[in-house]
Amino acid sequence: MRNYLLIYVNGRRHQISGERCFQSLSDYLRLDLGLVGTKVVCAEGDCGSCTVLVGRLRNGELKFEGFDSCIQYLYQLDCTHVITVEGLKQDNQIHPVQQAMVDAMGSQCGYCTPGFVMSMAAMLETRETLTRLSVQDALTGNLCRCTGYEQIIEAALSLPKFRSASSGLQPASKGFDQKVMVADFNRHALEPVLCEYVQKWNGATNRVRFFVPCTMKEAIKFKQKHKNVTVVAGGTDISVQINKQYIEPKCIMSLTNLNELDFIEVKNRKVKVGASVTWTKLGEFCQQNLSELSEIISLFASRQIRNAGTLAGNIANASPIADSLPFLHVIEAEIELTGNKGKRWVNINRFYHAYKKTEMAPDELITSIRWNIPDRSDILKLYKVSKRKDLDISTFTAGILLKLKHGKIKKARLAYGGVGPIVLRLPETERFLEGKPVTKSVFQHAGRIASDEIFPISDVRASTSYRTQLAENILIKFFHECCDNYHDKKEAA
Amino acid sequence: MKALARPKHKSSAGTVSKESSPRDKYTSGKNRTYSDKFDQPGLKLDNSKLFGKQLPHDSAVGHVTGEALFVDDITPAKNELIVDFISSPVAHGKIKSLNSMELAQQDGIAGVFTHADIPGENLYGPVVQDEPILAEETVQYVGQPIAIIAGESHEAIRKAKKKIRLNIKELKPVFTIDEAIAAKQYIGEKRTFKQGDFEKAWRESEHILKGTFVCNGQEQFYLESQAALARPGEHGDIHIHSSTQNPSEIQTVVAEALGIGFHQVVCVCKRMGGGFGGKETQAAIPAVMAALVASRTGRPARVAYTKDDDMRSTGKRHPYKIHYKAAFTSTGKITGVRFDIYSNGGAAADLSSSVLERTLFHSDNAYYIPNLIFNGVICKTNFPPNTAFRGFGGPQGMANIENVIQEIAIYLQKDALEIRRLNCYAHRGRNITPYGQVVKNHILPEIIDQLAETSRYSKRMKQVEEFNRKSQTHLRGLALTPMKFGISFTTTFLNQGNALVNVYRDGTVQVSTGGTEMGQGLNTKIRQLVADEFAISYQDVKLMITSTEKNNNTPPTAASASTDLNGIAAVNACQKIRSKLCAVASKYFATQKGGLKPSVKQICFEDNSVFDQRNQKNKLSFRKLVQLAFMERVSMGERGFYQTPEIHFNRDTEKGEPFFYYTMGASVSEVLIDRFTGQLNLERSDLLIDIGESINPGIDRGQIIGGFIQGVGWVTNEELRYSDKGELLSFSPTTYKIPNIQDLPEIFNVDTITNPHHQINIKRSKAVGEPPLMLCLSVWAAVKHALSCVQKDLCPQLNLPATAEEILCRLTELKHQANDNAAKHDAGKESEVALVSQNELTSKNKQAA
Repeated sequence: MRNYLLIYVNGRRHQISGERCFQSLSDYLRLDLGLVGTKVVCAEGDCGSCTVLVGRLRNGELKFEGFDSCIQYLYQLDCTHVITVEGLKQDNQIHPVQQAMVDAMGSQCGYCTPGFVMSMAAMLETRETLTRLSVQDALTGNLCRCTGYEQIIEAALSLPKFRSASSGLQPASKGFDQKVMVADFNRHALEPVLCEYVQKWNGATNRVRFFVPCTMKEAIKFKQKHKNVTVVAGGTDISVQINKQYIEPKCIMSLTNLNELDFIEVKNRKVKVGASVTWTKLGEFCQQNLSELSEIISLFASRQIRNAGTLAGNIANASPIADSLPFLHVIEAEIELTGNKGKRWVNINRFYHAYKKTEMAPDELITSIRWNIPDRSDILKLYKVSKRKDLDISTFTAGILLKLKHGKIKKARLAYGGVGPIVLRLPETERFLEGKPVTKSVFQHAGRIASDEIFPISDVRASTSYRTQLAENILIKFFHECCDNYHDKKEAA
Repeated sequence: MKALARPKHKSSAGTVSKESSPRDKYTSGKNRTYSDKFDQPGLKLDNSKLFGKQLPHDSAVGHVTGEALFVDDITPAKNELIVDFISSPVAHGKIKSLNSMELAQQDGIAGVFTHADIPGENLYGPVVQDEPILAEETVQYVGQPIAIIAGESHEAIRKAKKKIRLNIKELKPVFTIDEAIAAKQYIGEKRTFKQGDFEKAWRESEHILKGTFVCNGQEQFYLESQAALARPGEHGDIHIHSSTQNPSEIQTVVAEALGIGFHQVVCVCKRMGGGFGGKETQAAIPAVMAALVASRTGRPARVAYTKDDDMRSTGKRHPYKIHYKAAFTSTGKITGVRFDIYSNGGAAADLSSSVLERTLFHSDNAYYIPNLIFNGVICKTNFPPNTAFRGFGGPQGMANIENVIQEIAIYLQKDALEIRRLNCYAHRGRNITPYGQVVKNHILPEIIDQLAETSRYSKRMKQVEEFNRKSQTHLRGLALTPMKFGISFTTTFLNQGNALVNVYRDGTVQVSTGGTEMGQGLNTKIRQLVADEFAISYQDVKLMITSTEKNNNTPPTAASASTDLNGIAAVNACQKIRSKLCAVASKYFATQKGGLKPSVKQICFEDNSVFDQRNQKNKLSFRKLVQLAFMERVSMGERGFYQTPEIHFNRDTEKGEPFFYYTMGASVSEVLIDRFTGQLNLERSDLLIDIGESINPGIDRGQIIGGFIQGVGWVTNEELRYSDKGELLSFSPTTYKIPNIQDLPEIFNVDTITNPHHQINIKRSKAVGEPPLMLCLSVWAAVKHALSCVQKDLCPQLNLPATAEEILCRLTELKHQANDNAAKHDAGKESEVALVSQNELTSKNKQAA
């Protein structure tokens, strides 16, 4: 057992222990290390000004991805190499991504600029092809209020010109000696970390601790002992609550070093996704296998969030507008819960009891999620309506899965999010649809039934009436997008 | 100008049109129709090597490396205090008590200060001093600062804030314009612009229409929140580093609050992480907070608002509600309009009267209106005092008349472009504005015609309407809107600028002006101008931190005019130095072998050196010349000054010539709407703008695109939603959605046009900061056009912003109207402030993210 975190920042080794482990990476960089190039604007992962590269051990080498440092706490970053905007400069020479931004007039006020530079640097790490679309995707998580983005895109697209330059277009991480770090991490990664300190304020004392297990066994044991532990994987929601609502978890367990759960398996048309799988990894998998889900993943989160957040976290967080849930509901996904008494599988449709209340027992952890790949003839459609198209919390979500036979609806599964305290299946509407022909009037009728099955509220995102209207309209939209041709073909035949 | 006319980009996702557009005629930047003569007296130039070059932003390298420091990046002193504030949780109420003594005793807390601790003036304001820095007996809006809390760490303050016991007796708040009118709560006097005889035009008109236009506010959303760092000096002096567009105002407000002389306060601003108007007046409260703590504790004190606090407690773009009446002929010629304009000013005057004034100045936009009445009233409500935001009231006025134009077109079943072209200001006659200024030297008709042609407006309009007849799933809309924006502060005395130029013995130059850098490239442009004045290289000129110590009594960096005011002032200072250097040089060349008769008129500055035109081979380097001048005991530091000539405005008659010139342009946008969700996709935008001769085309292009996209946010997705208790619910980027990189038009053409008639201002450049924002109105008008295609006989209502919710609501409304033939009316939709019912918020079904 170790009592310190091991983190490299721009090639320098830091052993961090005690109270200092409990701060966000951005605070550590700005306040402890004086690396103020990393800016904090929203402190909730929505603006990307604090983007840094984080390199983690994967198959014996460090794999670097962009992260929002404001919602990464140090206890999530054991055995990583963090590269900040200050780390891009090598031998007093600015990096090509920096030069490209200068040349293309990509900065105006400059406050968001380090974040954009780091997100571009992240593109070089994976040697991704630079197209207008890939650049836009890579920079979705970075907000700029001055430029209108055009010149930033031009900067990124101009990068290939640096290939011929003497310094070339090297990923920033190549400027550091990775071997030493890899060896150091290999020595440390198999050892769990437990850090604690005693918080003193106004005469009261409080013990605060966190644990970073390396094996499932250690994790379950810790959860058994500390029932109220806050479990953190990507931390993309809990860190926001710490930053914004000032919640103060006294006991935290970070699953970031738990490599056992970082798997995606496909067997007999059954997909099984481990709890540590990030959205990035799942998104890549879905691109080939589940384009509907892949599209939702690319819309709802920026790369920085996808690199940190997990499907399991999305489920455990139990938000009624969690973007994966309508899909999981209509596909009848099962959740593997592991606790004292071993494992059990729960259908997601029975997992949520009420707003933010789930089936999970205090000693249990979500360890994996599985579902059957839909048949080729099934029609699966997912919808996300939000104020802004990309990187916005949903106003309304829907998942629709239809099985058709001889021009009739054999089976219908519908799930809506954002229309009640939990994601809702629509049994009345499903029953109505089953056995009906695929016509517009059927879906119009179904839409009206659906809008009676839900209880949406008015809030910051939308009014009750808008959500109700969407609940009705989405089925007609679905008809036009997925069934209109089908029907025409049948008619013609 | 050359570099600005960039090749059009077509995104890979572009689908609307693949053809290139024809371009000729009034071509962009290609046919310069005049010589390089500069006719501003006293500003004659020998050299303009850097003028018109796309040089990188002055701080570009600092920006990309993170080495450019903002207020909160400055390394803290060991004894520095963190400053935060305790704010009102209610919109209107009487403060009964606050446990400030108890809070001050908490671990790590250095002090808690209320209005009673302010030794000087607690009220401030740029026009009327009516805004408390710290609330006294009453609170007027949610988020209003009541007390300052200073601590050793953020952690200590956070913990202490959990112990706040604040007792407030709630009073009835007023949120909307209608409520304020009912309660007779106004700020300032009603203003009226008149021309011709509206009543007669209304009575005698062939056609009339009337209605109400509602437009919401907008958050500035500068990335760097309000921040200030104050350091105590000797004898009660204060040095303050503020993120402000207005250092002189910070100096004034801090001095008055602390009860000390202006000369005891130095305010500096190196740069801002964006301002957009939001730091013109509203940087003052945080600055006083830091200054008061520094003054009371003798320790450096820093305040940096969180994004949430910033959005909750500072003012925004004013929401408006405008009742309009328009009279017009069957061809669409406007014969008269009456606009009853109401702005929602928030709880204090701030800049509301000037903002409203600019709305009145821009309610004509680009159209000649022979008979008109514009009435303007500011309503006092329980929101943070609304303030400056790029466009400064102009956008709301222009949006209103564009809405009217769109409705006239719908009414007459004509293409809106026809109506726009018909009413557009002409060159001779039909060119008098509602305030008596003649629109001179403009090319509005030419801009509209060229843009209509290059964007293939007519052909696309046919395609769009054809698409709408066929598609069951989507709607398209297309609109072209012109833009004319008056340049100068309409408060005439603000149109002044001063600059300090110091030449050092190695030939390098420091320049300080009263202008502040917020990303707009002011410093870069001034650096170019100054380097050209001495014919020295760009690297040898440095723009210094803006400081009230060097430049006193300066106007805010606002109204787009800062390059005009500060640039000319800097050039003026350079010229004073140059004329002295000329004397030194002419004397020097006289003493040389084959000496010339000394003549300052013969001295030329070129390529880092100086020579007499009669013997161009004998050159003296600028550096050498400066050393000579020093030995000759010549002063090489000068102050320059500039006041905009000719402008005037009389507020009694509401007539005058308030603007030095106009920046103008037009845009065409095409939108695609999902009929089922109301979601909007901006498919294509073409912008064409006359910004005169560009000092730095790269910077100006950035201003045009950035301003436009910021405007697109305002008219589409940016929605401020409040609880019915007046709490801002969309207080961070999670819920307040500014455009992101995916929201650019799929096809985006940006171009400038040469205006041969524009012969004034520094090197015939024009202001570019605010105008492009208003090019966004074509996007909103395109949505209105799309909706008008649903039922040809129905005129759709559309508020601003056109969010997906607003669009779907209007689509549903049209469907109902068509079916029942009776207007369905959603009362909640008619308010300029989006209030969400509290009951529903706290209901059991709460579904927070």
